[in-house]
Amino acid sequence: MEERQYDLIFICRPDTPEADVDKVIATLEHAATEKGGKVEQVNKWGRRRMAYRVQKLREGYYVYLVVKSSHGEVVKELERRLKVSDAVMKYLTVRLDEELKRQEKLKRHRERRAARRPRKAATATPAPAPGSGEQAAAQA
Amino acid sequence: MADESAPIQVPPSAQSGPSGPGGPRPQGRSGGPGGPAKRGKRSFVRKKKVCRFCVDKADFIDYKKAEILAPFLQERGKILPRRMTGTCARHQRWLTVAIKRAQNIALLPFAAEL
Repeated sequence: MEERQYDLIFICRPDTPEADVDKVIATLEHAATEKGGKVEQVNKWGRRRMAYRVQKLREGYYVYLVVKSSHGEVVKELERRLKVSDAVMKYLTVRLDEELKRQEKLKRHRERRAARRPRKAATATPAPAPGSGEQAAAQA
Repeated sequence: MADESAPIQVPPSAQSGPSGPGGPRPQGRSGGPGGPAKRGKRSFVRKKKVCRFCVDKADFIDYKKAEILAPFLQERGKILPRRMTGTCARHQRWLTVAIKRAQNIALLPFAAEL
């Protein structure tokens, strides 16, 4: 089965110490590898103002992970752990591989079209040539 | 000045009456292409709106970049319609999905608080 890619964002309470956040990340990584998935990227966005209040708090500590796995069990387990964890207020998992695939496809399509008929790049150089040819024909 | 210009304007309109219903008007218009706009009948030309994402050649709208999505929200947090922003159909479809995801993780508001 093909590999799926997920974005996983979770928000910790702003008063959790950095060590606890790291602990949560470590447990998630461990759980992912145990289930046969993999945490590809960990990106701590840090404290950030939220657009609305969550649990009566205006700020949260955002953490962003990229998870790869071949089946949904990994996500199920990760979400269960996030739900259990006290420090985590909110989380969101988004499956992205299909959208990324679409993005790739569109990009390739665009590049191929650009290669076939180079519009902007080519008009600057070949345009003078046909122009001069016409002039020559007119003169002749 | 104004008194002079008014009598001058009257004769052409009087002439247009007898000359025919269709003929004179276009002639009057052709006299000044800039004229009709000034006269106020079509006082403004609507500027053509262009899809911002098409200009950037975006193949993917990232829900994590709240600052990109924010201009497409009304003050109270509603998603702006296509007719307001000029976004093309395809990108509006992607945009709404991105905005809704961002709302779920508190990057964008569902409804702005007072």
